Amino acid sequence: MQITPTPPRVAPTRPRRAARPTEPAPRSARVWRWTTGSGVALLVLVGIHMIAHHFAVEEVGGLRTYRQVLAYVASPAIFVVESAFLVAVTVHALLGLRGVLLDLGPGPRARRRIDAGLWTLGVATVAYGLFLLATLASRA
Amino acid sequence: MSRPEEEILAARDAPGPVLRKGAGPRVVAWLDPRGRALGSRAFAADRIVALGLVFYLYLHLGVLSLLLRGQEAWRGFLRLATTTAFLGLDVLLLFGLLFHGLNGLRVALVGSGIVPERHRALFWAATVVGVLVLLVGAVRIWGEG
Repeated sequence: MQITPTPPRVAPTRPRRAARPTEPAPRSARVWRWTTGSGVALLVLVGIHMIAHHFAVEEVGGLRTYRQVLAYVASPAIFVVESAFLVAVTVHALLGLRGVLLDLGPGPRARRRIDAGLWTLGVATVAYGLFLLATLASRA
Repeated sequence: MSRPEEEILAARDAPGPVLRKGAGPRVVAWLDPRGRALGSRAFAADRIVALGLVFYLYLHLGVLSLLLRGQEAWRGFLRLATTTAFLGLDVLLLFGLLFHGLNGLRVALVGSGIVPERHRALFWAATVVGVLVLLVGAVRIWGEG
């Protein structure tokens, strides 16, 4: 008896999904992803910040009074959104600044100093911003 | 073709990192608009706006520090911030946010390969959307002034 081989269910020419890379992406690719990711997050968070904080207020220029600011940041949801906004905007701003500085063509040592300086500035910015938010929320 | 443009094109054809491919000093070569395509000019304008926004971020944090000093300090700032001229700076800020945000979205869509061949159409679409939102925002900001 002749046995007919079963045809493969998947054509051998069909392109296969590339295997997941075992090595991490190069640093420049990771920086691009972080810059883009934080930028996309900012599109949402800046929108919320501008509308909720400025355009939803019936004051001149959408600027809140002292009491209104305290009441605003005391809301837990707003506190979380503003904290996320602070982190995203700091990451995005300092990565962008890093790109501009690296375009000046610094040597390896200067690059390391730029990275260390921007890390320090970023951590200090987020820490100060969170301190500001927490202090104002506690005064409400 | 004029001589400066020839120099720019020759510099771009030369091997080497991108930052060497413009005329003028290396540091500001990306700023030179001569002989550039729309995307390169948008890149340079976007970078200038972005540097302005970084400056504004720290200025904003400094201004918000007035809140720590209490109600009187904030009231004094509001008296200045609600003048027509100062509200104009708010409109300028809105322009910067819209330009950087929409151009950044365009670059992300092109750079990630989602719409790699539509960068000019995206630029003009973003311009239309940006101008409309800026007009609404300006009316809202100045309308209350």
